Amino acid sequence: MSATDTGGRVRAFGAAVADGWTPERFGLLAAIGLVLLAFGPTFQVYLFTDFLVVALFALGFNLLYGYTGLLSFGHGMFYAGGAYGLAIVLRDLSPVVADVVGAGIAPLATFVVGGVVGLTLVVAVAVPVGWLSVRLEEIYFALITLAFGMLGYSLIIQDPAGLTNGTDGVIVLLGSVDLGAASVRLGGRQVYYALTVVTVLATTYGVWRVVNSPFGTVCKAIRESPDRASALGIDVRHHRWMTFIVSAVVVGIAGVLRAGLASVASPGLTHWSTSAIAVIATVIGGATYFSGPIVGAFVFLYIRWAISRFPTLEAYWELFFGALLIAVVLFFKQGAVGGLLLLRDRLLGDGDAGGGDSGGGSEAADSGDSAATDGGRAADDATIDGGRAADDATIDGGRAADDETTDGGPTAGAPGDDSRPHRGDDS
Amino acid sequence: MSLPSLVPLIGIADVVIGLSLGSRLFLIAVGLSLIFGVLGVLNFAHGGFYMLGAYVTLAVVTSVVDNFWLAAVAGALAVGVVGAVIEFAAIRRLYDRVDADLDQLIVTFGFVLVIHETVRFVWGSGSYSIDPPDVFNFSVSLGGSTFNAYRLVVIGLAVAVLVSLWLFITRTYFGSLVRGTSSDREMASMLGVDVPRLYTGVFFLGSVLAGLGGALSAPLQSTSPALGDQVIIDAFIVVVIGGLGSMSGAFVGAMLIGMMQSLGPQFISAGSIAIPFLAMVIVLLFRPEGLFGGIGE
Repeated sequence: MSATDTGGRVRAFGAAVADGWTPERFGLLAAIGLVLLAFGPTFQVYLFTDFLVVALFALGFNLLYGYTGLLSFGHGMFYAGGAYGLAIVLRDLSPVVADVVGAGIAPLATFVVGGVVGLTLVVAVAVPVGWLSVRLEEIYFALITLAFGMLGYSLIIQDPAGLTNGTDGVIVLLGSVDLGAASVRLGGRQVYYALTVVTVLATTYGVWRVVNSPFGTVCKAIRESPDRASALGIDVRHHRWMTFIVSAVVVGIAGVLRAGLASVASPGLTHWSTSAIAVIATVIGGATYFSGPIVGAFVFLYIRWAISRFPTLEAYWELFFGALLIAVVLFFKQGAVGGLLLLRDRLLGDGDAGGGDSGGGSEAADSGDSAATDGGRAADDATIDGGRAADDATIDGGRAADDETTDGGPTAGAPGDDSRPHRGDDS
Repeated sequence: MSLPSLVPLIGIADVVIGLSLGSRLFLIAVGLSLIFGVLGVLNFAHGGFYMLGAYVTLAVVTSVVDNFWLAAVAGALAVGVVGAVIEFAAIRRLYDRVDADLDQLIVTFGFVLVIHETVRFVWGSGSYSIDPPDVFNFSVSLGGSTFNAYRLVVIGLAVAVLVSLWLFITRTYFGSLVRGTSSDREMASMLGVDVPRLYTGVFFLGSVLAGLGGALSAPLQSTSPALGDQVIIDAFIVVVIGGLGSMSGAFVGAMLIGMMQSLGPQFISAGSIAIPFLAMVIVLLFRPEGLFGGIGE
C-alpha cells in the first residue's frame, strides 16, 4: 500500500518538476550552464570541449548507422580528413592568408580556410568512397569501410606526397588574433571552448534539420526496410550515398575541431580503433535516438574520466566499456537515452498507459505533450525510435510503419500501423 | 631490370618466412571463415582469441609443464572453451534479431576490448617471447640463406590442419551436419539437427584453431596485448580475399598476404602496407564472395 502511495507521490513530484521545464526555460538553463562552465576549472573546460567533439563525431557516424542502418568502421578517415586539412593549411598557408587579410586576424582566417579545405578534402574522399561503399550492405559494408579507413591510415603513415609527416602527424599551432587593443589566443581553453560550442551547436542543429526533413524520413524508411523503400520508388543506393556524404562532412567538422583541441593531426585518427569510438558512444547512447550519440559520448568521456580518478583502475577503462557495450547490445538496445526515457515515463506515470510499451508507437503517440514538457527533445527522439526496439519480436513485416506515419515526404503512401504490439522493454 | 637479375633477390629464407607468416594467418583466418560460413557471425574477437592462445601457451610452458606441445594444446583448448562460453552466453542471444549481423559484430567487438584488457591485467603490457621447441630450434641453410627449422614445422602443421579440416567437413557425419546447417539452418533444424549445440561446437572449433595459431606462433613473434588488434585486421583481409566461409580460400589468401608481408617491402618501398587494403577493397567490390567463395571447397 505504502509503496503505491510513494510511487504516486514520486510521480506527482516528477510531473510538477516537468511542468516547469518549458522549452524556453530549459534552453535558458542550458545556455547559462554552458557560459558558466567556461569559467570552471581548466580541465573541466577541456573535458567538456572533448565531449562536444566526440559527440559531433558520433552524431555524424550515427546518421549512417542509426538512420540508414549502415555500420561504418572507417569514419576515422573523415575525422582525420578534417584534422589534416586544418593542420596542413595552418602549417603551409599561414603566410599566404596573412598577406591577404593582414596579420591581425590572420590566425582566425587561417583556421576558417583550414576548416573549409579540410571539409573539401572530406567531400572529395567521401564522394567516391561512399559511391563504392554503398554498393555493399551489412557486414560487407562494415568491412569495406574498414578497408578504406585503413587504406587512408597506410597512406598517411607512408606519406607518399610528403604532406602528412608520417607517424608523427602534423602539429597544429592556432596562434593569436591581434585586435590592436586585445590579443586573443585561439587555442586558449576558454576561447576554443566557445568556438567549439558554437560550431557543434550549429552543426547539430543542421543535422537535426536534415534528420527531420523528408530526406531524413526516407533514411529511416530505408533503415527499416530497404526492399520496401525501394518498392515505394526510393533510389535506396543513391540515398545511402548522399547520407554517407552528409555524415562524412559532419564527422569532418568534428575532425577540424579535434585537430585544434589536440594541437596535432595524428595518423591514429584514421585507424579503425578511432572509428570504433563512434560505434561505442553511439551504441551506448542508443542508436535509434537523435540524442543517442550525444548522450553516449557524454557517458563515454565522463565515465572514462571518473575511472581515471582511480589509479588502479585507470589503465583498464576499456574493459568497462567493452562490458557495457556487450550488455547494451544484448539486453537494452535503446541505450542510455532509452533508459532515460523509460525512467521519465516511470516518474511521470506515462509508462502505465502503454502497459510497459515504450517502443516507437507510444512515444510517437505522446509526442505532443512531450514537446510541451521537455523542450521537444523526447519528441524528436521518438520520431526515429521506430521498429528497432520491436525488432526482436517480429522477424519482418511492417517495421517501417511507425516512422512512416510520423512524417509526410515520399513515404506518405505507406500504411500506418500504430496498433501493432511492441516488445515490452520493462526489464 | 631483366628477369634473371630479379631471382636472386628472393631468398629462399624470405619465401619460408612468408609461408610461415601465412600459416599463422591461415590458422586464425580459417576459424574466422568457418564461423562466418556456418553461423553467419563475423567474429571481431578472433584476433583476441589468437593472442589469448599465445599467452596461455607462454604461461603454461613457463610455469606448468616445460613441454611446448602440451602447452600449445592447452592454449588451443583454453581458447576453445572461452569461445564456446562467449557463443553460449552472448552471441546465441542475437541469432534471431533482424540486424543480427551488425549486433554480433558490435558484441564481438566488445569482447575485443574485454579480452585485450584482461590479458593486460593478467600478463601486463610488456611483451614475451619463447624459444622454439629444442628439437626444431636450429638453423637451416638453403641456397645461401638461413632460417629457423621451426618455421617449416609451422608450415607443415598449417597444411595438416587444412587437410584434416577438409576431410572432417567432407567425409564425416558431423561435417555433413555442418554443411547442411550452413546451407539451410531451418531445414537442418527440422530434420533433427540440434542447431544451437552445433553452433557452439563450430564456434569452439574455430576458436581452437585461432588459439592453436597463437600457440604455434608464440616462438616466432613477441607476444604483447597489441597482437590481437594487429592480427585481426590481417585476418579480415585474408578472409575477404579468400572468400568469407571458404577454407581453401583462407589458405590461399593467408599465403598470399604472408608472402606479401615478407617479400613486399623488397619490391615496393612506398605503399606496401596499403596494398593489402587496396586488394581487400577491390575484392569486396568486384567479387564480394571472394576469390574462392563457398564453404567446404
